[in-house]
Amino acid sequence: MTTRSDVAARTEPGRKPIDWRRAGVLFLSRYGTIFGLLLMFVFFSIMAPTTFFSRANFLNILSQASLTAIIAAGLTYTLVVGEFDLSVGFVASFIGLIVVGFMSYQGLPIWLSIAAALAVGIGLGLVNGALVTKVRINAVIATLGVGTMLTGIGFSYSAFPIAAGIPRAFTNLSLGRVLFGIPNPVFFMIGILLVLWVILNRTDIGQKMQAVGANIEAARLSGIRVDRIKMFAFATAGLCAAITGTLLSSLLGSGTLGVGDGYLLDAFAAVFLGSATLREGEFHIVGTFVGVLILAVGFNGLAILGAPANYQPIFKGGILILAVGMSALARRYAASR
Amino acid sequence: MLGEDQGTYDGAGLRSEPSTDGGSAQARSRTESPGGWMEIRGLTKSFAGELALDDADLDIARGEVHGLVGANGAGKSTLIRCLAGVTLADRGRITVGGTELRQGSPQASEQAGLAFIHQELNLVPHFSALQNMLLGVPKVTRFGLIDWKRSSIRARAAAERIGIQFPLETPVSELSVAERWLVMIGKALTRDAALIAMDEPTASLSGPESEKLFSIIRDLSRHGVAILYVSHRLEEVLDLCDRITVLRDGRIVDQALCGHLDKKGLVRAIIGHDIRAPEDRDRFTADKSGKPIFSVRDVAWRSAVKGVSFDVFPGEVLALGGLIGAGRTELAQLAAGVRRPDRGHFELHGRRLDLADEAAAVEAGIALVPEERRSQGLMLQHSVGANINIASLANLRAFPALPFISTGKGRRQAEGLVKRLGIKTPGIDTKIASLSGGNQQKALIARWLSSGIRLLILDEPSRGVDVGAREEIHGTIRALARSGVGIILISSDVEELALLADRVLVMREGRLTGELTGRDITEARIIELSYHGADGGEGDQA
Repeated sequence: MTTRSDVAARTEPGRKPIDWRRAGVLFLSRYGTIFGLLLMFVFFSIMAPTTFFSRANFLNILSQASLTAIIAAGLTYTLVVGEFDLSVGFVASFIGLIVVGFMSYQGLPIWLSIAAALAVGIGLGLVNGALVTKVRINAVIATLGVGTMLTGIGFSYSAFPIAAGIPRAFTNLSLGRVLFGIPNPVFFMIGILLVLWVILNRTDIGQKMQAVGANIEAARLSGIRVDRIKMFAFATAGLCAAITGTLLSSLLGSGTLGVGDGYLLDAFAAVFLGSATLREGEFHIVGTFVGVLILAVGFNGLAILGAPANYQPIFKGGILILAVGMSALARRYAASR
Repeated sequence: MLGEDQGTYDGAGLRSEPSTDGGSAQARSRTESPGGWMEIRGLTKSFAGELALDDADLDIARGEVHGLVGANGAGKSTLIRCLAGVTLADRGRITVGGTELRQGSPQASEQAGLAFIHQELNLVPHFSALQNMLLGVPKVTRFGLIDWKRSSIRARAAAERIGIQFPLETPVSELSVAERWLVMIGKALTRDAALIAMDEPTASLSGPESEKLFSIIRDLSRHGVAILYVSHRLEEVLDLCDRITVLRDGRIVDQALCGHLDKKGLVRAIIGHDIRAPEDRDRFTADKSGKPIFSVRDVAWRSAVKGVSFDVFPGEVLALGGLIGAGRTELAQLAAGVRRPDRGHFELHGRRLDLADEAAAVEAGIALVPEERRSQGLMLQHSVGANINIASLANLRAFPALPFISTGKGRRQAEGLVKRLGIKTPGIDTKIASLSGGNQQKALIARWLSSGIRLLILDEPSRGVDVGAREEIHGTIRALARSGVGIILISSDVEELALLADRVLVMREGRLTGELTGRDITEARIIELSYHGADGGEGDQA
């Protein structure tokens, strides 16, 4: 995927004296996360050869990773254009609730419920985008405000979990295994990541998004309608959060308040880990995927080794700080040359 | 100290200013043995195996104004950064006043009396001038609170010495660039700097502001403060400096007393060969009876642009001359859709434009190559190719109807433009941040060459660009104009206007004050009109 052959250009070792320290930093800043993932994988495989290192567990890891990957990939878009979206977790929760509500309370057919829920997700993304680009509210504040309001709106919609009247076909969406016994969410993840990767790297709008993130003034003067590009990024984040929320409700077989909130932190950790992967502090889809895998393998391995549940938030918070730190280091390193 | 081959230097090289007061002349330590108050020996630094500075020797005497010139990438900044302690040299020694400088420590450099003023003046915008001058200086406190009165005695003395007129309580954000320079110099003096390195000090100063700076520099020099003056403006360097050092490819290729050098020799030393003689001012004369490409009709914006009208004709390089703050940049931004005019309008090929934003201007075929290359033009972390292609993505579609981009087309387009403009880069995948200023500027011009532009506005296109690259950029601009693209050139470099423009419109305080064509386009005439205008009358309408 790194056809961007600056990799080749940058690492050419042909020149006279090799600066080992520089080479070391370079290696760590580009491949450190992948190396860490492999290390973790090997470690857990040795510690738990039968439970961790098994097909069933790998599928389990991928399945767990897929919901995080989808929401994180959407979040990646907002960071690519130099903004933030703190509402993604709340949007996932809210959509997870209303998609079930549409079926249970309003009695809509599955496809219509999902279509309507995803449309609401896009709409929420556009609201975020409009607040940021038109009203010019700082993205952190705007999305936090929208997210917080959603919690309340969700509560008004249904103060109790919605568990009745959910069609089997809806739960099968995520519980089913259409091909090779691989859980469906994995296919959703692969499809969505692929589409988002193509858009970001192989289309006009993707190039424009990257330009907006790199230098907004230059992008403007290059004739790019910056506000529209940002709206697109926010809408994508909203859509991805909505997809994650829908799959989450399908997985749980109910609509419950606040179930998706926790994805915010996971998604941020993954995206920042990703920005320190293969690139120097740039946000990109492949990196985000690597970041998601690190989290998924870590959680899974810790659980299998019998680490108490309270280790999870410690691991998660630690990874987030580590990830943002590495990303900042990578960017500073890129800028210093 | 070491009595090397510097015998001829003392006295002879020092510009004999009408030295007035005997007291200060003493500070000028002519008694000190020649050689240097600061000595650099064998300074070498390589980046990624490439020598940026190669065995450089340099002496600077107390109170000397020392010019440092060279093309971009010649090693000037590396030398300065080593002095400042920001970059650690691989080899070499620096002694200041006889004691060896601990390298790689900005604190050590400051304590040794070295001060640095970079182009991007490092000032805190919402702090007052005084606060900025005292930044990092230990302050007198009373009961734990800063006693500003006593803390600022030295700063006020410094301000008086360099003739600061504005109140020191003014926030820096409200000061002009020239005034900010004074603050930076004051800051250096507050710290007892014995050497002030200045990087392109006049790049954003107008004529009289520059003159004022020069007189301050001369005064500082008389009082024993050495100046390391880095600039691309060779006349200035020749005029101001006692001695000049020329760097090329990291080596010191020439070092001479000022009187022994002329501009031609200096240029030859910088680029390593002779420059083409500027063609005998045979300027293109546009056919004014024909249809203009672009028309400005009574455009006004706030107090910066007060009703300007003119036409750009096919084939000509039209230049806007004038001082900083004359309204030229604002006019350029109005034409490029960055701002919307309060009154008046623009016409492109006879069609009236209503430019809602930059994108509308670009769609109409109007592009601006902005003044601030780094902050408004470049995507520094992106590749040369990405920077070139960003404005013409529509060309790169694999199938015109689908939004997918063909990487092959992108490569071919970027590589073609790199070759056409002679952009020196290892490849189009190289990060643009690693190119020299001149090559970055060429890439920014290249950005528009495949986008079907009709009008290209260039704001200060050769600021911070070395002599060789400047010539190539001029060639490109001229060729574009001849091919029928409308060109509006804005430059504060009068020499550049005289070299490149076919017609010069001079702006002053938001109005057009004169027009020069053909043989009338001389540096002297441009300057004259910039200051006085043709009418001289003022009269702001309410």
